[in-house]
Amino acid sequence: MAEEFNTESMLDMFLYESGQLLEKLEGIILEKQDADCFDDADINEIFRVMHTIKGSSGVLMYENITKVTHKLEDVFYYLRESHPDDVPHMELVEKVLAVSDFVTGELDKLKNGDTPDGDEKQLVEDLDEFLGRLKGEIKKQGIQMPQANKHVEPTQFYITPVAGDDSHFYRISIHYRSDTQMSNLRAYSATYALKEVAEDLLYTPDDILSNEASADVIVAEGFHMLLQTKSTKEEVIALIDSSEAEEINFDELSKEEYGRALGEFGREEAEPVAAAPASAKGDENKEAKKEGPKPGDYVVKTKEAGKGKTLAKNQPKQQSIISVNVEKMDALMDLIGELVIAEAVVLQNPDLKVPGLELSNFQKASGQLSKITTELQEVIMSMRMMPLTNTFQKMRRIVFDVSRKLGKDIELEVVGENTEVDKNIIEHITDPLMHLVRNSVDHGIEEDPADRTAVGKPSKGKITLEAKNEGGKVYISVKDDGKGLNKEKLYQKALDKGLIENKPINEFTDKEIFRFITLPGFSTKEEVTEYSGRGVGMDVVVKNIQSISGRLDISSVEFEGSEMTLVIPLTLAIINGIVVQVGNSPFVIETASIKEFVRVGEDSLISEPSGEEYIVLRGECYPFIRLNERYDLPDSNDKIEEGIIVVLEHEGSQVCVLIDKLLQEQEIVVKPIPPYVRKVKGLSGCTQLGDGSIALILDIAGLLLHDGERR
Amino acid sequence: MKILLAEDDFASRKFMDKQLSRYGECDVMVDGEEAVDAFMMALEDGEPYDLACLDVMMPVMDGYQVLKAIRDIEAQKGIPKSKRVKVIMTTALNDERNVKMAFELGCEAYAGKPIDVEKFEKVLTKLGLI
Repeated sequence: MAEEFNTESMLDMFLYESGQLLEKLEGIILEKQDADCFDDADINEIFRVMHTIKGSSGVLMYENITKVTHKLEDVFYYLRESHPDDVPHMELVEKVLAVSDFVTGELDKLKNGDTPDGDEKQLVEDLDEFLGRLKGEIKKQGIQMPQANKHVEPTQFYITPVAGDDSHFYRISIHYRSDTQMSNLRAYSATYALKEVAEDLLYTPDDILSNEASADVIVAEGFHMLLQTKSTKEEVIALIDSSEAEEINFDELSKEEYGRALGEFGREEAEPVAAAPASAKGDENKEAKKEGPKPGDYVVKTKEAGKGKTLAKNQPKQQSIISVNVEKMDALMDLIGELVIAEAVVLQNPDLKVPGLELSNFQKASGQLSKITTELQEVIMSMRMMPLTNTFQKMRRIVFDVSRKLGKDIELEVVGENTEVDKNIIEHITDPLMHLVRNSVDHGIEEDPADRTAVGKPSKGKITLEAKNEGGKVYISVKDDGKGLNKEKLYQKALDKGLIENKPINEFTDKEIFRFITLPGFSTKEEVTEYSGRGVGMDVVVKNIQSISGRLDISSVEFEGSEMTLVIPLTLAIINGIVVQVGNSPFVIETASIKEFVRVGEDSLISEPSGEEYIVLRGECYPFIRLNERYDLPDSNDKIEEGIIVVLEHEGSQVCVLIDKLLQEQEIVVKPIPPYVRKVKGLSGCTQLGDGSIALILDIAGLLLHDGERR
Repeated sequence: MKILLAEDDFASRKFMDKQLSRYGECDVMVDGEEAVDAFMMALEDGEPYDLACLDVMMPVMDGYQVLKAIRDIEAQKGIPKSKRVKVIMTTALNDERNVKMAFELGCEAYAGKPIDVEKFEKVLTKLGLI
């Protein structure tokens, strides 16, 4: 799967990205068309969109797009820097839409394989005129004129290949007379002649020069060629020496047929793409071996060189992939969830508990059913899994942009980008991750390279983005080798802002101090930059992460750097849980958070006068919660000896809860608690059990938090 | 202008040679290693190349390795950025990842095959070569 994402051609990527940006742009414009003016965020966003499209169209050399977006970028640059009043809003909206339409039109031309030749002059003149008036207005209002928007000319260019539309594709088969001598050399001279006009040429047998035995094969089976060329059929025929040939079959193919035919010829389309980057990353030996450094071998290498010439669209491989609307996938997921519940309802049906029933056939059939539903779950899960490649790609972009903007020299290392995560989760982590990366670039890495070299670090900053999959959780970390977090500063600041209770710094653990930065209203940087430090950062990140039952770990060593790790579950919809009973109510506890079940005596219980209770296990003291008291459950057992103690763990803190009995372990389909029920602390969702009853899912983090507040 | 052309495929080589010879003296190599050797030799003779066109899929050393080697040699010899040889990758590998990597390795332009001659010329102008 991962490869598929990356084999997008440069042009496809440009079209896709620009298309997305324009869509976003129009969204903003249309939303704000009736307002009086754009707010700062919109201006920034439009500026950024124009800047991005200008940059990438510059690299791809679509000059009319570059010019137009450049002009509009200028307009928004002045708006952003000077904040003039009385901007003719409607006119501005019209201008933006005109640019957006123009670029969309050009992109459409590119999509159809045409040249983007739209005339930008009128539009540029209009924008110039508008910009002139805007500048006049700025002067009149006495606002200081910002420095002219500096444009960096692209220093690197991408020359798009000529679209193969005027290319013809032929399949040529030559059958020689059976008495032909050295037919392999005749075949060779045919290929040699065709190379003059060929954009791509592939033939079989392919060892005509080096293997004399190929002559017999050619006589017996004929010599087959696939040719991509701009020449016409007549021109090609004229090039082939037809003496000794008994029959020449000449078929013109469509692009798609040609792609398929390449497959038949045994050409592996995707292979060079994968091989080349690997080799460049230092795997020289492999590459050298594969290529085989045979001197003068280049004639036969036609096959090799031609490999990539077919555009990615022709890859026959892609035909085996269809894209499906995510909503349909979600619906399927829901249905399978319901199916799992329905299965439990059937298999654990109270009717089956009637004594004396002969159930052996039923058991066999139900075993089969369970197996299939489990497999079904696994398949739908794997269908929803997506590699983080695209998300990480975005981060690359951010590091690139932000570091350049801030004038910092930063290298980004990406590890494990092929790690797969549920699609829902990807959607939820993109923004938080983006924020963390920006923070690292902006706050993490030192402003002055001299500060780095002074403590023995290379002057170039380094940010590592790493993803790994471990024990049903995904760890995504953003690590920088910057200045790290200063504990005293964090503590002082949190204290000054009144975010924490007043106790000495040594009563907080390192982790607790680092966590201050996630408190709402906390921002260590006095200056707000364009990219971060608006003070609405880390608390939002943490909230987003918690909404998908993940957490944020922070570790840092001053002067050496910081590491922010997002720990998130692989999937949200189905968890493995243990069903327990308290009173008459069933509860579900996620298996992964259970440390142990124990039975203890009354003597292990410590009661504080304030009502708090603790359980002592093997000399360790754990907070103790009675679920029946917490949730007012009648008819439950109050005696510790008769119940079961479950030790739960979350992020390194433990808590014991008292339950009446264990019911079973099963796959739990998590459903949210309906909104009309008041939010109850310590519960994260609910599910339906086999007998049709509803079980509540315990949220360990919530329990701990609530417990902490109470104490 | 001195031009280094590394291209293992005969048809492409002939085509490129014809195109490039219009702008200057064009040395033609058939594999990556030869290209690096030629680059070194020209550098030592004090007549460095102005432009290098490198194919990616080549025997012995591929185009990326050549590009990296060239940039490493230049860095080692302390050649300033403005004086570096301009490198244009010429290849059929047009997927984004390959292009990005080539840019990261420090090429000036990346030309997808079949090569758009008009744009190619435009790039040469922008790079200040013609």
